[in-house]
Order: sequence, then C-alpha cells, then structure tokens
Amino acid sequence: MEYAVEMRGITMQFPAVRANDNVDFSVLKGEIHALVGENGAGKSTLMNILYGLYSPTAGEVYVNGRKTEFHSALDAIQAGIGMVHQHFMLIPRMTVAENVVLGAEPRKNRLYDRKQAGKEVEQLSAQYDFSLPARAIVRDISLGMQQRVEIAKALYRKADIIILDEPTAVLTPQEIDELGNMLQQLKSIGKTIIIITHKMKEIMDFSDRITVLRAGKKVITVNTEETDANQITEYMVGREVHLGQGRKSYSQEEVMLEFQNVSYQDKVKNVSFKLKKGEILGIAGIDNSGQKEITELAAGILTPDSGKIIHNGMEVKIYSAKEIKESGTGFVPQDRHRHGLVLGMSVEDNLLLGYQRLAEFRNKKVFLNRKAVSDNAIDKIKNYDIRPTDRTVLTGKLSGGNQQKVVVARESSRAKRMIIADQPSRGVDIGATELIYQIFSDACKKGESVLLSSLELDEILAVTDRIMVVAEGWVTGIVDSSKTTRTEIGMMMVNSASKQEVAE
Amino acid sequence: MMAKLSRDKMLSVLPSLLIILIAVVLISIILLATGANPILFFMNLFKGSFGTKRGLINTISKAVPICLSAFAVALANKVGVFNIGVEGQLVFGALGSAIAGIYLQELPAIIHVPLALFGGILFGMLYAYLPTWMYIKQQANLMVVFIMMNNLAKLFSTFVIIALIQDPASMVTASQPIQKSAYLPMIMTSPGKLNISVFILIAVAILIYVFFYKTVYGYEMTACGVNGEAADYSGINTRKYIKWALILGGALAGLAGAIEVQGTYFKLYDGFSPGYGFDGIPIALLSNNNPLFMMVGSLLFAALRVGSNTTQIEQGISGEIVTVIQGILVTLIACEYFIRYIAKRSMTRKKGRRMTI
Amino acid sequence: MSKVILLTLTVSLLRLTVPIMTMALGNMFCERAGIMNLGAEGMMIAGAFGAVVGTYFTGNPWLGVLTAVLCSMIVSGIHSLISVEFGGIQNISGLGLNMLSAGLTSFLCRSIFNTGITPSVASIQTAGFFKNIPVIGHFLSQFSPLAYISVVVIFVSWFIMSKTVLGMHIVAVGDDPKAAETAGINVWRLRHFCVTVLCGALAGLAGAYLSIGQLSFFMEDMTAGKGMLAVIAVKMGRWNTKYVVAMALLFGFFDALQAQLQINNVLHIAPELIQTIPYLAGIITMLLSSRSKDNPRALRVPYVKNKYKI
Repeated sequence: MEYAVEMRGITMQFPAVRANDNVDFSVLKGEIHALVGENGAGKSTLMNILYGLYSPTAGEVYVNGRKTEFHSALDAIQAGIGMVHQHFMLIPRMTVAENVVLGAEPRKNRLYDRKQAGKEVEQLSAQYDFSLPARAIVRDISLGMQQRVEIAKALYRKADIIILDEPTAVLTPQEIDELGNMLQQLKSIGKTIIIITHKMKEIMDFSDRITVLRAGKKVITVNTEETDANQITEYMVGREVHLGQGRKSYSQEEVMLEFQNVSYQDKVKNVSFKLKKGEILGIAGIDNSGQKEITELAAGILTPDSGKIIHNGMEVKIYSAKEIKESGTGFVPQDRHRHGLVLGMSVEDNLLLGYQRLAEFRNKKVFLNRKAVSDNAIDKIKNYDIRPTDRTVLTGKLSGGNQQKVVVARESSRAKRMIIADQPSRGVDIGATELIYQIFSDACKKGESVLLSSLELDEILAVTDRIMVVAEGWVTGIVDSSKTTRTEIGMMMVNSASKQEVAE
Repeated sequence: MMAKLSRDKMLSVLPSLLIILIAVVLISIILLATGANPILFFMNLFKGSFGTKRGLINTISKAVPICLSAFAVALANKVGVFNIGVEGQLVFGALGSAIAGIYLQELPAIIHVPLALFGGILFGMLYAYLPTWMYIKQQANLMVVFIMMNNLAKLFSTFVIIALIQDPASMVTASQPIQKSAYLPMIMTSPGKLNISVFILIAVAILIYVFFYKTVYGYEMTACGVNGEAADYSGINTRKYIKWALILGGALAGLAGAIEVQGTYFKLYDGFSPGYGFDGIPIALLSNNNPLFMMVGSLLFAALRVGSNTTQIEQGISGEIVTVIQGILVTLIACEYFIRYIAKRSMTRKKGRRMTI
Repeated sequence: MSKVILLTLTVSLLRLTVPIMTMALGNMFCERAGIMNLGAEGMMIAGAFGAVVGTYFTGNPWLGVLTAVLCSMIVSGIHSLISVEFGGIQNISGLGLNMLSAGLTSFLCRSIFNTGITPSVASIQTAGFFKNIPVIGHFLSQFSPLAYISVVVIFVSWFIMSKTVLGMHIVAVGDDPKAAETAGINVWRLRHFCVTVLCGALAGLAGAYLSIGQLSFFMEDMTAGKGMLAVIAVKMGRWNTKYVVAMALLFGFFDALQAQLQINNVLHIAPELIQTIPYLAGIITMLLSSRSKDNPRALRVPYVKNKYKI
C-alpha cells in the first residue's frame, strides 16, 4: 500500500496565529480521504501547503514517495496535484475551454491555439462524461457546471491527486449525490482524492478514511467504516454537540413581518411569506438563490422593485437601513467582514456601530458619551463571551467566531422585535454557533422573531420552526421543520418551476 | 494594559517616522549626486526658517495656508476619499477673494475682511463641487478629475488676471491691489509679518479636533473611512459624509487661498502658490488626520519652503527640491502597508507571540 | 476651412496623438494586468528628460531614446515595486511618482543646465528615410521615426492581447489573480513585466517623442496633462486596443486644435483659455461616460504574496 501523499510534522505559523501545529497527514494511493474539522481548524491551510500556495514553517511533504518542496502552484501541478477551491477560480469573461486550459494553453507557432484548446476540452469532457459546453462563457453557466469546469481543469493538467475544498457548499442534495458518483468514478481509474469538508453526510458517504483536525492539531485518523457521525463530531469539537436539541417552539399567531409579492431585479421573484411573532423562520436554498437579497430587503438595505413589505402591521414606504434598525430590527449580514464590522476599529466601537445615535450614547446631542460606549462594551463582552476580553483590541484580530459574536451581540441586544441573520454560522466554530442559536432561541422566548438564512441544512432543520425554501428567486415551499426531511427540502431547492406552496 | 496602549500608539506612529527618515536619506543621496552637501542643506534649512526671529515668524505665517490645505485633505481622508484637488481649490478660492477684495468698495474693514474671506471659501467650495458630483453620481475617478481641475484652475486664474483684473503698473503678472479694507489685520509687522490668520487656523484646528474625536459625527466619519460598506449597512449615510467632506475641504482650501491674498500679497499674483495644496497631501496622510500632528507637519513644510530660499542662495540648490521631497514622501506613503508590515515584524519578533484560533 | 489648414491640422493631429496614444497603450497593459497607473505623467516626463540628457551627452538621439526608456522604466519599476510587490496603494504611488518625477526632472534640469529649459540637442523630428518615395514621400517624411515605431506598437499591442497566450494571462491576472495563481501562472512576475517593462518602455517612447521627436529640447512640465489624458483614454477605450487608440486620437485632436489656435488665433481667445481645451475635453469625456462593466475586475486591488500577509 503506497502513500500518494505524506505530510510530516507540518507547522504553519502566521504572525498572529499558528494554523497548523505539527500535523502528520498521509493519504493512500487510490483512496478518497476526508480531511475534516470545524471552521478554523486548519484544513484549508494544510491543503494550500500541499498545493504550493504556502510554504510551511516546518515539516516535510512527500508526494508518491519523493520529498518535494513546492514554491508555487505550478510546482504542485507539475507533481500531479490538482485543487478545486471552495470559491471557484474561474475567469467569468472567458469561455469554459479557455478556463480549463488556463496556464497550460496549447500553442501553434507561439500563438494561442484556441481551436485546439476547444477540441481538447471537448475530448476531456467526453472522456469523463462531464458534458461541458466548451464555447460557453463561464459567467453564463450554472454553479454545478462551473464546479465541473474546475474539476476538468485539474484533470486537464493530468492530476493524479485531486484536492476538493468544501465542494458541496453550492450544490443541491441531488448534485451532491452526482458529485459522489463522480468521485467514485475517478477513484476507479486510479485517482487519489482528498476532500475537505465539515459536512457529516459527505464525510460518511464519500470517504474511505477520515483525518480530523482541531485547532491546528491533528486529532486522529480513522477508517470510515469503523466510526460514526457522532464520534466524528466529538473528535472535531472535543465534546458532544446537540444543536437545537430540546427546542421548544414559542411561535405565536401575530405577524411581525410580511412580504407581499416582493420582487427585486432577477434575484427575488414574487416572494410572499409571513414571519410570526416568537418564531424562527429559516430560509433554505442553494447559494445565491435570493436569500441574501431577501434578508437585505427585510432589513431595509435594498428597495424592492415591486411588492410590499410590512413591518409590524405598517407598510414600509421609505427603505432605509437606519429607519428599520431604529424600529427594532437587528441585522446580521452575510459578509461580516465587509458589511457587519469595521475591522480597523476596536471591539468597543464595533459594538456601537449603527446605534451611535441612540440617546444613551449622546451627550448634549453632538458629543459621544465615551463612558456609555465602554460600559456597553464591557457588558456585551461579558454576556456574550467575547474573547479576548479587552474592549480596545482591534476587531480584525479576533477569530471568526468571536467576530460573529460581536455582531450578534450588538444586533440581538438592541433588536426589540426581530433579528435577521444571514448565514450566521459560516466560518464560525461550533462553540460560537451554539451560543448564537441559543441567543436566537432566547429572543423568541421574549417574543421576538428571527428570520434565518443558512446553507447548512442540518442546522436549519435543527433550530427553526418553519423553513421557507427558495430556488432561483422563487419561493418553492414553506414547511414545518419538524415534519419535513432533507430529501423533501432538497427537491424544493431545485424545483423552481413549481408554484409556491404555503403550509401554515 | 498601559504597556499595551503605548505599544499600539507606537505602532501607529512608527510608520510615519520611518517614512520621514527614509525620505531624509533619499534626499541626501540626491543632493550628493548633484554635488551638494546634505548636512549643510539641512543646516541652512534650519537657519533660514528657525534661525532668525524674522525667519521664525515667516515660517509660522507660511504654515497657515499649508495647514489649512492639510486639513482639507484630512477631512476627505477621514471618510475614505482622496482630495488631491486642494491646490486648484486654493487657487480658485484666491481668485474669489481677490475679486471680492478689489471690487467691493466703500466697505468698512469689519465687513469687508470676512466678506472677502467668504468669497474665497465660496469659490473653493464651488470648485470642489463638480468633481464631487462626478464622483458620487458617475463613479468617475476622483483623482483624475481633481488633477485636471488643478491644471484648469491655474490656467483660468492666469486668464482672469490678464484679461480682467490686471494691474498695468505691475512688472509681473498680477491683479490690481485689493482694497485696504480687505487686508487681514496684522498682529505684528516686525521682526516678521504675522496676521490674524494664525488665530483663524487655531480656531479651525480646535473645531476639527473636537469634531473628529469627540462627536458622534466623528465616529461615523471614522467608520465611513475605514469600512464604508459596513458603515452603509449600519445606517450611516456615507454618501452625505463624502460629499460634505469634499466640499468643506474645498472651503478650507479656498480659505487658505483667501488668506494668502488678503494677508500676504494683498493682490492676486499669477502662480502665487508654490504648491501649498500639494504640501497638504503628505502632511495629512502622515499625520493620520490628527490636527495636532498636522500643525507640526505644516510648520516643518513651511520651514522647508522658507528655508529653501536660504539653501538656494547659499548652496545654489534649486527650490524645486521641495517638490522632490513632496514626491518622495507621497510615494513612500503608498508603501505604508508594507512599512507597517516591517514595523510589526520587528516589534512582534521580540515577543514571539502565538495564538491559536 | 481652407485645404492648407485642414492638412496642417491633420498632420498636427497625427503628430500630437502619438505621445498620448503610446502612453495609453502602456497604461492599457498596466491596467489590464490589474495595476492602476496614475503616474503616467511622471513616467513620460522622466522619459522626456532622459532622452535629452542622453542625446546631450552622447550626441546620438537614438541613444537618447534608449536613455529615455531606461529612465521611464526606473519610474515604472518603482511603481511596480510598490504596487505589485509590496501591495501598496496604487493611486497614491502613481500620484507620488508624478510629483517626484516632475520635481526631480525640474531639479536636475536646473542643476545641470541652470535653467528650466535645456539647450537644443540633436533630435529626430523627421524621417528623411521616406523622402524618396514618390507622391506621399514628402508627407510621410514629416513625421518622426518614433511616430512610426508607435504605429508598429499599436499592431503589436493588438496582436499580443488577442492572439497570444501572454495576452490571455494578462487578462486572467487582472481579473482574478488568485485564479491565475492556482492555475500555475506567476502573477507577480507577469505584473512586474507589464508595469515595469511594457508600460515603462512605452512611456519612455512617448516621453522621448515629446522632447526629441517633436522638438529638440526638454522643458519643465512639458507633458502638460498628456499622461492624464492617456489614463482617461484607457478607461474610455474599455481597455481594448482599438478603442483606446480611437480615444487617444480624439484627445490628440483637441491637443492639435489647441496648438493650432495658438498659432492662428482666428477666434481671438486668450491663450490660457486655449490651453484649457485638452483638459476640458478630458473632463467632458469623463462626464459623458458611465460605469463600465468591462474593467479588469481586480484593478487597483493589491494582491499580496502570502509571505507578506500580516
């Protein structure tokens, strides 16, 4: 049994963070190996080292038995390693063929031989049964198709070892199954596959062996058939996790927020729903189906092209983030770095962001009451377990989980009626995730409502009262969380042609 | 905690000091290459600007328009945009002040002085308006527009002087003298000339300091400048801040121009500004928008300008050296990220901190 | 308008377009690769000065062209170092280099020659080479050989961008440097090449043309906004060789108009106002255009090497 990849004693030290700490990682030839861990465990960093994007601070890498030192992705490619990144590395304005051959273009007389490129891509596509439209422009094709282009890139460069980084984030359950089949097919022709993921289903369904990382260190490597989901979770987190277990419903009849036939560009199409007082309504769907826009419409960031949005019985006439916030709606945006936090300011200042005009923070109308600001910060840091506890630290230095806690602390503590959260657990460790969902649950107990969008189907099923499924901007179904299944939701995620069904 | 506070403060000042140091070294090299003695150069600079009572007063006087320009740049910088059109706004403002100073007659000084200053402010604001509009409405490249406007201001101002308001008796291209009632009151005339513009400057500086650091608006502007998108999402009206930062910047620049006309030259000379507007750029950027630092920086730049007369006479070094210094500073400021990286590397190396996620 | 004036205007137009167009093509490569270059003026004036200094000390204008290219490449090299290697703020780097280059060339000019204008040097304003061709020979010979080189540059630029792998990589690097890096392309080396070599050389050519292709001396601030117009031309031309050249021609027209009016002041406008024409043209062009979707998506975003990340 030969090893395709052996990484020994890998340490990666960044100025502020040790992302990998003396990790040993080995992959057998021809196996599908899952590299798992929660957000921030160091999985992507380890693979970026294998792919030559980073140089490790310490440790050695062996590929097919030979010691290697990669200084760039090109070195890794030439050693037969291909990587499919979480966020696609495609150039939207170029065609599929141009993207696949990027970096290794066929030439004729020193010129770019585009015709040959197209031919070779079509051959590849036929060989692996990808049905790639070689001449299509990448920005026009679907995400699932784009992923296949990414895989084709690796195969075109004759990769024998293929790394996939969180490949299923943008796929529907059906597409995930198709991916699983493709991986088996690749395995059968001798390719070695490393799949980075934190999704339990894929870990158990796809892999032969599993390596778990936690906080930069390797925990264990096991054979998949010898373990189960609960045990893996425990390895990943260090303790048992019960997300949403023992959840009670606080749902009431009164309506907090209503969308009536709301449309926005081509992202949101004729969406209608009601958010009840005390309930957590989840929005499920594959990435970029309109969830972000729905949350932003509800928060007043965007203005609908048509339709009505009714907050607490009153129709919104002027869409302004400020007014809706002042009416008691908190918003945790999808991209916390760009939209939720000012990383260059202190934690204290970020806990104030958006609420600085409240009377409690003002002194004679124009001056900022610094004492009130710091009291507010001290209070939040304590109650929401934000670490480090120094309120003057620059927010950019906090971990993903703690940064999200800052946003959630700020928004949920000020919200009086409703919290809108877009992918609150993305890039956040499980400890913080648990805390965040607990906060939402507590808010419901107090009579507030939560509108929650997430790509993690398991989480949505566990923590929500009802789930609204969207596909291509349409609402394809609203169901009771306790009464539905992954399969049912999966089907609604792709079925945009069906009319909206509302289950009360 | 105390040690940490001062460490962070050191870390924020260090890049600026490093940049100034590197600039001094580079200037010295250039001077050596042209056969001049750099040590003598700096000594002459000092001698000419701070060495005599007259020089000192002159330096302080010259620091005023430079500092106002720096404030204008800093105002924009605070909200995250670059106002490099300050030179044009200054020149155009001077034009406004001159016109008000020349043609409004029979007015008591107590009305004429502020009125003419206001003329400068108004013209400065107007001149900042078009680029601001183009930037906000059309996402035009603000820096390109400002640079074009700077060039246009110079040409237009020359045109107006020659065509409309020229002083036939003057040897050089200049306007008619302004009315005596528009002259800025003097504080002293000997050993050097100093007028009340110093007080105006201090008042503006205090205003800016309070505004930036003590008010809610200062907080919002800071958020706007560091991460405009997050500020937007939180409900802050970033577009309004940007608009006003640029226009008020024009106002400050126009004020600077007016002060030169009403306080130093008493007429509008063609090309009176050797580049005060451009001096403001490195000063504001190196000071991180802190009014106190900007005042210090302006004094230094004014010293450069005043002292460069001495270096020209004593060593034959052309006055253009000031532009060279401007350029070196701004270019180095562009590497700030990298310089901060170096500064941070050298500071954290001592502690060897590690944090796991 | 009389035929003579029309002809003079055309010759003037073609002559004056050359520096703007050459610089614009250089900027096009630069921006296509993702680096904004506001320092075009600085690069051009460095080239203009270098050309005269080189010619002055060697007597050979072609060596002057070489010196020009070298001087421009020093400036573009610094811009590249800051923008590509250090991940600095590109617009400030460009601005700073403009100031530095303008100041330094003035300073050195005065230090060496004691005035703001150099003495006359040998120049290459005409291409005597063509004189013997029948009919059009006389017309063709009126232009500097540098102008003809610039024409060749247009075709080479078009060729590179549309037919070569290099052009493809430049687009990739400017749109998504991460995607390019993971495909095995050395993003920094390619960007350095585009900024330092391509942009710098073309800036040097443009600058040399200004001082010894059109005239025979260097004068302070002789670029007079042409670099900025080149920047505008690239954006208006949507980073596409054909349209960039077209925009440069447009600006060249206004420049020619301005020059012509100063000679024959038929409209009796003040000379300063005449000089504003190119700047007004630049601003009005910007006013009339809207945001483009064609821009290189990673333009102005620094792509820092992993080892430099804080």
